[in-house]
Amino acid sequence: MFVVVVGGGKVGYYLTRELAESGHEVVLMEKDRARAEQITDEIGSIVVAKDGCEGIYLGEAGANRADIVVAVTGDDEDNLVICQMAKHHFSVPRTIARVNNPLNEPLFRDLGVDEIISPTRMILGSIEQDIPVHELLHLAPLSRDFELIEAQLAEGSPAIGRNPRDIELPDGCAIVAVVRDQEAHGIGADTVLRPGDRVIATGRDEYEPDIRRALIGEVGGS
Amino acid sequence: MPDRSRPIFHRAVIALTGGRVDTETVRMAVELARSSKAELVGVHVVQIDWTQPLDADIASASEEAQRVLDQAESLAERLGQRMESVLVQARAVGAALVDEAVEREADLLILGLPYRTRFGGDFALGRWILYALKNAPCAVWVVREPMPEEEEGES
Repeated sequence: MFVVVVGGGKVGYYLTRELAESGHEVVLMEKDRARAEQITDEIGSIVVAKDGCEGIYLGEAGANRADIVVAVTGDDEDNLVICQMAKHHFSVPRTIARVNNPLNEPLFRDLGVDEIISPTRMILGSIEQDIPVHELLHLAPLSRDFELIEAQLAEGSPAIGRNPRDIELPDGCAIVAVVRDQEAHGIGADTVLRPGDRVIATGRDEYEPDIRRALIGEVGGS
Repeated sequence: MPDRSRPIFHRAVIALTGGRVDTETVRMAVELARSSKAELVGVHVVQIDWTQPLDADIASASEEAQRVLDQAESLAERLGQRMESVLVQARAVGAALVDEAVEREADLLILGLPYRTRFGGDFALGRWILYALKNAPCAVWVVREPMPEEEEGES
């Protein structure tokens, strides 16, 4: 597989090194010449010291035959431009972008970036795992604007004592499972929610407040 | 004191660029190899840009690449020394030469350097020679071609 990595920061450097060590053909684009030379010294002559935001240079790096273009610069705008060019100008089958600002994620998706990696979102998810009570935990994005969510039910939750099917959720949202005593259970006619249950639901981002209200309740007057 | 009974080298890799300087490097290598009964390997690197896979059928189909090898081989032969010649495809010339020297366990890498200047007149050593000087585990000799006469007169 031939991979073009754009951005020679820590992520780009380690990604390139790992891909090369795994036997993939990989080229790294880094516009800072001094940094490019430093990386060349460390991992060999697989660095193009050019700006991957420029179509002509992306072409020189072999985007025309790349299987994947990965944009991991520290700049969301650059990453978007790189993936757009790779996708629409060079017909690269798969584009992957790093997104630093979570607010930019929908834009990247709308503009056809195949996969987005958000370190901010990942760290946020990791932190949320430590404070699950009274919070919704974003487990994974399922598709554009659609997520898998977990809510841990505490005493006082409006969902306690009810069957999940009876809980009113916005259209397109659903409770799909309950994790109790480390085991996942499907939703049956006799399922009754208890304090400590972890409710797994799916829903759109925009309905998060409604899901929160239905499963966790109004916390602290919010 | 250096051991003068020891041959200067056993096996040398000579970079062949196709330029005028090839004549100088091959001639010098042959003279030295004859006295020490050393092996010579001429290497011409065809640089493949990233738009094409490294194993694209380019070098073997290139008449120019063949000409470079043939010229160097026949010069060595005329001077009475056999020289093996190799065509290599690579992304970077310097790295390819160093790799070839390592792979062949050469104890000398000979590089020809045409006299050229950058804009502004500074002498340019070129990137791949610097790479070889920095990374080759064996000895590296750089043979610079004579300075063009008119520039010699100016300096």
